[in-house]
Amino acid sequence: MRISKIIMLCVIIPGLVLGAMSCETLKSLTGPKATLDVIPAEIFLSPALIKKPVAFKGTGFEPKEMISVEMVLPPGLKMKGINEGEDVGIAVATADEKGNFDAVMKPTATLNWFFQVGWTPLLRPNFKEAKPIPPGVYTINATGLFSDRVATSTLKIVPPPKKKK
Amino acid sequence: MGKWSAIFLSIILAVCLSVVGLSSSSFAKDKEIAYLSLADYTGPIAGLNVPADMGLEDYIKEINSKGGVDGVKIRFIGIDTRYDVARGVSAYKRYRRTPKLLVVNSIGTPIGKAIARLIERDKRLQIVPGDGEFQAHIGRNFIWGPAYQDAFAAMMDWVMDDWKAKGKSGAPIVGFISWDSAFGREPLRGGKEYAESLGIKFLPPEFFPPGTLKHDVYLTRLEKAGANYIYAGGVEPTPTNVIRDAHALGLTKKIQFLNGYWGATLLGIGVHAKALEGTAIVSFFERGEDALKNKLVTDLWKKHRGSMDKFNEVYGMGVSWGMTCEAGLKTALKAVGYEKLKADDMYRAYQKLGGLDKHGIQGPCAYSQTSRRGSLEVKIYRVKDGKIVPITGWRKAPDGVSLHKF
Repeated sequence: MRISKIIMLCVIIPGLVLGAMSCETLKSLTGPKATLDVIPAEIFLSPALIKKPVAFKGTGFEPKEMISVEMVLPPGLKMKGINEGEDVGIAVATADEKGNFDAVMKPTATLNWFFQVGWTPLLRPNFKEAKPIPPGVYTINATGLFSDRVATSTLKIVPPPKKKK
Repeated sequence: MGKWSAIFLSIILAVCLSVVGLSSSSFAKDKEIAYLSLADYTGPIAGLNVPADMGLEDYIKEINSKGGVDGVKIRFIGIDTRYDVARGVSAYKRYRRTPKLLVVNSIGTPIGKAIARLIERDKRLQIVPGDGEFQAHIGRNFIWGPAYQDAFAAMMDWVMDDWKAKGKSGAPIVGFISWDSAFGREPLRGGKEYAESLGIKFLPPEFFPPGTLKHDVYLTRLEKAGANYIYAGGVEPTPTNVIRDAHALGLTKKIQFLNGYWGATLLGIGVHAKALEGTAIVSFFERGEDALKNKLVTDLWKKHRGSMDKFNEVYGMGVSWGMTCEAGLKTALKAVGYEKLKADDMYRAYQKLGGLDKHGIQGPCAYSQTSRRGSLEVKIYRVKDGKIVPITGWRKAPDGVSLHKF
């Protein structure tokens, strides 16, 4: 009996302490489930993305909260300006009264993070220095910056179609 | 409960508390605070931001090598946003919970405006470029010097002085050319009203997309409209390139060209000295020959960067940011001590830095409960014989912000 009490205490005390530490995480899980759509969900890299950029639609966030949309970089993928292990912000939005949001990638985001262009001192993108990110399936997260709610989706980047001879 | 059970339980508790302690700021080995720079190191304005952050980082190294500010060291976190708002917000998200993150510097006004709500929510402060809105609506955003419209108004005062010194009567005709962006238009939000209050005839401004290669069309239009002076805005090297084109058109012989505080630097003059000859520059921080004579700044550069060949006077502005942070930290520590120190204490401290001496790099700090201006003074410089030389002393810039309805 005494041993079972000790075992119980050993479970309860760490549980309480560690539970208190993770209450921020719990808080983010108690709200409505947040969702994210990436539009389109599949692209290939081309200059057309400047005029018709990748867009995002989300639901389930706090009314009027700021949203950061980020792309998770797979291990080993080096990106200009990004430290290893960091996600890269690709869009920003503010949720409406219902907690929904729409966002698009601005030209600078498309140029910096999809094409990885250089910049001339005249503020023109330098495509000679461009290192387009490789094809693959990239995780996209939308995070509510007040609620910490996170919605996840993916963006598939496929190789550009081969030119007809 | 037996003796062994009590010991066992104590060990479990100690382990749990250690986990908590390790994950909290109170377990820091060194007493330190953090400074986050949402910078541009490889993007379009890297040419200005890299030397500025070099100055800041070197100044922080000096403070830390002497044991910090009253024993508290400053940890510099420099993040390359590539001048991208989405990246700036994402980087702030990543670092906003850094223990004792007291100061954030946003290199671009769009990034500063985007994170302002989060800064307010986190009860922190950020320092930002000279958009007048930050002074018009007092919040937690402190600008580096006078607002853009203040500096523009100061330049208009000089234009009137220059006009009279040339023996001309009445008031001149002034043209304005800059980027077609919120930043490009900002000097006019209050600055235009100030110019007109002096009797200056202000021509319809010319705006062009950032990245424009030739500016002949816009310049020719201003010339035909009778401009006596043309103010070339934008961030270096754009102002230099506008004047390069004006020189090629023969306009610099008959029109006095003017630059704002992101205008021609020593590096720009190294490339287009002939075209820029005679250009007047309004600046809130030391330029050209002044900067080269500032021993504190040049000694720091030589110690950390070596040869003066690549020295850029924007380095001094970074040193000035470091001085502000040092003084703010000192004030905040005096008020609450290290253990209780929070970002909000630094915000309160920054409002008490009015009068802080910047060792000649810029005018005294003007932060207060009602002022978000980093300083009030500007100097007018002129490009002469391929050098940037001062043609006035420090002079108080007029309050251009109050003339615009924000």
